[in-house]
Amino acid sequence: MLGLIHNELLVIAGRWRSYIGFIGISILMPLILWGFSVGGEELHRDYARELGGTFMVVGSILNSFLATYIIMNTLWIHIPFLVTLAAGDSVAADGANGIFRITLTRSVSRFKILVSKLMASYIYTALLLIFCAFWSLGIGSIVLGTGDLIVIDNGILILDESQAWVRMAFSFLLAILVMCMVATLCFMFSTMVNNAVGPIIGTIFLIIIGYMIMSIPLEIFEKIEPYVFVKYFNVWWDAFKDPIPWGEIGKKLGVLGAYSVACFGIATYVFLKKDIKT
Amino acid sequence: MILETKNLTKLFGLRKAVDGLNLEIPDGSVYGFLGPNGSGKSTTIRMMTALISPDEGEVFIQGKSVQKLGNKALSSVGALIERADFHKHLSGKTNLEMLARMDGTNMSRVQTVLDRTGLGNRGKDKVKTYSQGMKQRLGIAQALLSNPKLLILDEPTNGLDPQGMKEVRDLVRELASEGITIFISSHLLDEVQKICSHVAMISKGELKTAGPIEDLLKDSDLLMTEIHVNPLATAIELLSNQDWIHRCEENNGILSVGVSHDKISDLVQLLVQNDLQVSAVIPRTSLEDVFLSKVGKENQI
Repeated sequence: MLGLIHNELLVIAGRWRSYIGFIGISILMPLILWGFSVGGEELHRDYARELGGTFMVVGSILNSFLATYIIMNTLWIHIPFLVTLAAGDSVAADGANGIFRITLTRSVSRFKILVSKLMASYIYTALLLIFCAFWSLGIGSIVLGTGDLIVIDNGILILDESQAWVRMAFSFLLAILVMCMVATLCFMFSTMVNNAVGPIIGTIFLIIIGYMIMSIPLEIFEKIEPYVFVKYFNVWWDAFKDPIPWGEIGKKLGVLGAYSVACFGIATYVFLKKDIKT
Repeated sequence: MILETKNLTKLFGLRKAVDGLNLEIPDGSVYGFLGPNGSGKSTTIRMMTALISPDEGEVFIQGKSVQKLGNKALSSVGALIERADFHKHLSGKTNLEMLARMDGTNMSRVQTVLDRTGLGNRGKDKVKTYSQGMKQRLGIAQALLSNPKLLILDEPTNGLDPQGMKEVRDLVRELASEGITIFISSHLLDEVQKICSHVAMISKGELKTAGPIEDLLKDSDLLMTEIHVNPLATAIELLSNQDWIHRCEENNGILSVGVSHDKISDLVQLLVQNDLQVSAVIPRTSLEDVFLSKVGKENQI
């Protein structure tokens, strides 16, 4: 299995499309960090105003942790698109390019091939988010420095630097798991068609529909809402709550996990039954 | 038998692409698989290699059912299905290494098969820089990677220039001489006749005939006979009116007549009785003639 995953990673690494996400992050992150360093005073004043009645603020509130926290909030819609670039290609491209005529005639089971492709997509997804963390936390720490993280959400939570590192790492771990669910959804679509664009559009379309259902205040949509996977995407936020709501995190990951299993189950059924005619 | 199909049937919608196909491929043979476009050749080969599931019937490779065991039954098979497609952005060698990793094949085989197929010096180049002929050779290289006992080649010379076709033909002959059983589909009857020991012909998904080429040519109820006759035009006019003559055509001043074996003497007698000068009668049955007699002229390859 490790050999098969190795193969899939080689294929992903060889496609220029796989680097779009990394290039995008490499362009976007310095821009955002530059924006924070230039316009940081304004942000500091806004935060200090919010905290003014309760706390006396010494030094700057703005640091790499706060910047990362804000970046994660804003990039949340866009990261799924970057994740789908590899997952969408995963099965569909091999079908379209005729690679299956060679790989699926070998004495390796289709299931193993499918699992290796999914694992490679997960690794790509994790690397993308780790790269994001490298920029916002790593380079961000050099540009903006570190310090306490102040989270304003249903109250004020102040995490000291050592805690902030742990919470950030946990948050990114949760984000990786969420994005793996997105990758599985896209992967499922990838087994159904012979082009990479369809799975990407299908996945983003479902995510947008999910966000729409959540944002339109209609009773019928509120009833559907618990079944919409997008509702649980915000699990990474729970890493910044005190105390950490483990039960809530478990429930959200459970739902996303169930969706992932269902998507992979469908993908397996489709792929094992698929006639390779291309 | 190294490869057998039993009642193999595949439907695409209501159309039967393959209809109850029974084939028996003997160990060590070079087995040609002939049929016009859309006759079901590729569908059959894809069912043999687990790319397509049959609606009925089974494929057995060394007695193991492909449908029951899936890809495990293909451990002794190397296959090249139609055009050889690889990851173009990777080198030929990397592509083969990936396949070797899949099978658990020893990596040293990669260079061996590259050398064998004449790609030893180009292995490190990206596949996108390869000519069609080189890609096809790389396709054969991947099929040879796991030291197969049975090689299944679907139209391996498609898209190749005459030199490339000759190279593939020579390679197939060489592999056959080493005892590898080769099942090869081709449009080129002449090519199949040159390299195959056995042949099967299908049309509209149905098997029309199968067996050793020698027997098929011998047993054919049609014989193409070349006749050197004068005057040619009179001979053509005379023979075209005979219902026992299946074909009658002029080819570079020589008359080619399709006639069953037992009618050759009648043919000569008829020509002589009509004051035509017959200087030579040469039987020349080719696989094409057998094909036309079995599959029909409307289905010419």
